[in-house]
Amino acid sequence: MTGMRKRVTVGFLSIVCLLFFSGMVSFLELSHLSRDTGEILKANKRNIELAKEMLDAAHEQNIALIHRSVFGDRSYDSLCRASMERLENTLLVAQNEALEKSFLDSLAFATTELRLLTDNYLAFGSRDSVSVAAGQTLDSLGRVWYDDQYERVYGQLTSAIKSYMTSTQSSLAPRAEQMKKNAYRAVTPVLISLVVMIAIVLMLFYFMSIYCVAPIERMNKGLGNYLTFRAPFTVKGDLKDEVLELKEKIDLLIKQAKTPKA
Amino acid sequence: MRVDVVLRYIGVVMLFFAFFMLLSAGISYVSGMDSAFYPLLLSSLLTALLGAFPLIFVGKCDQITNKEGFCIVVGAWLVACVVSMFPYLIWGGEFSLVNAWFESVSGLTTTGSTILIDVEALPRGLLFWRMASTWIGGMGVVMFALVVLPSIGRSRMMLSNVELSTMAKDNYRYRSQIVVQILLVVYIGLTAVSTVLLKLAGMNWFDALCHAMSACATSGFSTKNASVAYFNSPAIDTILILTMIIAGIHFGLIYATVTGKRNNIFRSEVTRWYLGMFLAGGVLIAISLYAADIYPTLATSFRHAMFQFASLVSTTGFATADSNTWTPFATILLIFGSLVCACAGSTAGGIKVNRMVLAGKMMSARLKLQQHPNAVIRIRLDGVIQDNEVLHSVMIYIVAYLMFLLLGTIAGALFGVDLTTSFTGSVASMGNVGPGFGEVGSMDNWSAMPAAFKVSNTLLMLLGRLEIFGLIQIFFMKWWK
Repeated sequence: MTGMRKRVTVGFLSIVCLLFFSGMVSFLELSHLSRDTGEILKANKRNIELAKEMLDAAHEQNIALIHRSVFGDRSYDSLCRASMERLENTLLVAQNEALEKSFLDSLAFATTELRLLTDNYLAFGSRDSVSVAAGQTLDSLGRVWYDDQYERVYGQLTSAIKSYMTSTQSSLAPRAEQMKKNAYRAVTPVLISLVVMIAIVLMLFYFMSIYCVAPIERMNKGLGNYLTFRAPFTVKGDLKDEVLELKEKIDLLIKQAKTPKA
Repeated sequence: MRVDVVLRYIGVVMLFFAFFMLLSAGISYVSGMDSAFYPLLLSSLLTALLGAFPLIFVGKCDQITNKEGFCIVVGAWLVACVVSMFPYLIWGGEFSLVNAWFESVSGLTTTGSTILIDVEALPRGLLFWRMASTWIGGMGVVMFALVVLPSIGRSRMMLSNVELSTMAKDNYRYRSQIVVQILLVVYIGLTAVSTVLLKLAGMNWFDALCHAMSACATSGFSTKNASVAYFNSPAIDTILILTMIIAGIHFGLIYATVTGKRNNIFRSEVTRWYLGMFLAGGVLIAISLYAADIYPTLATSFRHAMFQFASLVSTTGFATADSNTWTPFATILLIFGSLVCACAGSTAGGIKVNRMVLAGKMMSARLKLQQHPNAVIRIRLDGVIQDNEVLHSVMIYIVAYLMFLLLGTIAGALFGVDLTTSFTGSVASMGNVGPGFGEVGSMDNWSAMPAAFKVSNTLLMLLGRLEIFGLIQIFFMKWWK
């Protein structure tokens, strides 16, 4: 490549490219980081919503079953079934959306167990499973069923829902570690690009000063000497490109000035 | 001195590095676009930009002075160490700034020490870059560019004269241009043959290529945490012993031997000393290990002793056993091997057999002179009478080498490192060997070492690789005028 203009243009274009390049890299990496953070927060929020929904459903069924088993109120059967379905549907949604499905295994097991127990109770009452002893009423049998069987399964279910709720929190640590790495990767290329850019700017400054500024200064001094002392116009050092052309034109101009007019 | 010309040539070398980074990115892409792809690609672009920039401004210049030559070589080494860090830094993992600098300098100077606890966790692209950087360093960062890039023209002679040590030039009876070509032919040939043999011995192509590159560069970087011990194969051990020992011989002599020239390795006094030292040291260590019941059979003792001694003498640093558990006699022989190292004109570091042979002859001459004060004693090496200037420089080099070792050991002690680790670590770094003893043994790494000790050892590595004075004189401001 010849010509100072072209060189300077290429030099500045390199810096612009580097700026653009480092900007793009940091933009892309920070976009990734922002997306990852958003995903984590979204997953966390969704997890809490689903867990709340499941706890509500379980609680609703619990109330319904208390009415049914302790007070013998059969009007709560439908509510009991509806809340069970609500629980199962929410579990299904959670299973579909979960990234780590193993957290839901114990919850699914507890839900199935609860479904079998309540279905059995609603279909046959407590007579099939508990023998009616002397002096015991059906209401008291229902209470015994509730205390002995349902409460244990209900406890398992609620603790499984709670551990599902905390599962996202416990999976946050490795994801946060990953985010830290991503943040490092977002920053390092930019820092390295900056270092390279500083090196390039320094080189550009150096090249500009030795190929442009210094020759012009020398030429200026030479012209000054010529004008002040009528000393011959000389410029020390190698000159290139446009600066050389300028020097040659000044030489020509001086030569023409020295030539007596006809 | 024309700084712009120096920058131009350093830029040429940087372009060469950018090409190897791109090649590593290609390996990364082929390996399923692993996590090293973008770091390598980015590093390649940045290095290419850094290298191309001076070329835009500074025109071709055929005549360079001796000073400029020194500045180009030393500058290229230093800048190469910096740009080599880029892929490590961008990739992250275990690479902090100090760790990346250490790994980069260790690779380029062919020391082969590592800060990585889990080498196997690195993606293939980055593993290949480690090997590529060490392979370039083995030949010499400027030397490689000299051969490959045609634009360098007549400056080649000056630069090759600067990068090749004085001792290394002795066995070359060709023009400088031919010398660099011979170096490259031998280097690539040895790497190719070694790769094929290692593949036949049971390694996969990638491991075979990486270990061959590492062995030919006498670096010692491995793709496995347990180094060569991972493969546990006598065939692989034997191939690597041969490769390491050959890589420690003067490349000009290897070329002469292969092409049937008269001036070959069998006629070289230095090579005879080198091979003799290797055999004697290996046998003595094997007997010592067998006698101390460290290995159950004599054959196993020989296998490990020969491998470990070849590894340290050739300044490679591969390991098949933990030499920290060996006898004190074996340890002292290994340290001696790490100090003397291999022949000048090879990829190995250290004091070098040539200088030790000359130093021994000088001592012998001194004794004779004390008995016969008027005697005129000429010191010959390979039948050639050595100038007093050469003999002087040999002694000065050995003294300076030992002085820097002492300084390195003191620095280690200052930074809280135990004396064994500090001393053997300095020996290993200065000689570009790799493993030392204590906490930096053959099966250990430098991750737990203090950052300051790591940095001080990288300086020793550079001093050792640039044969001390090359690096030192660049810092004397008077020299710049």
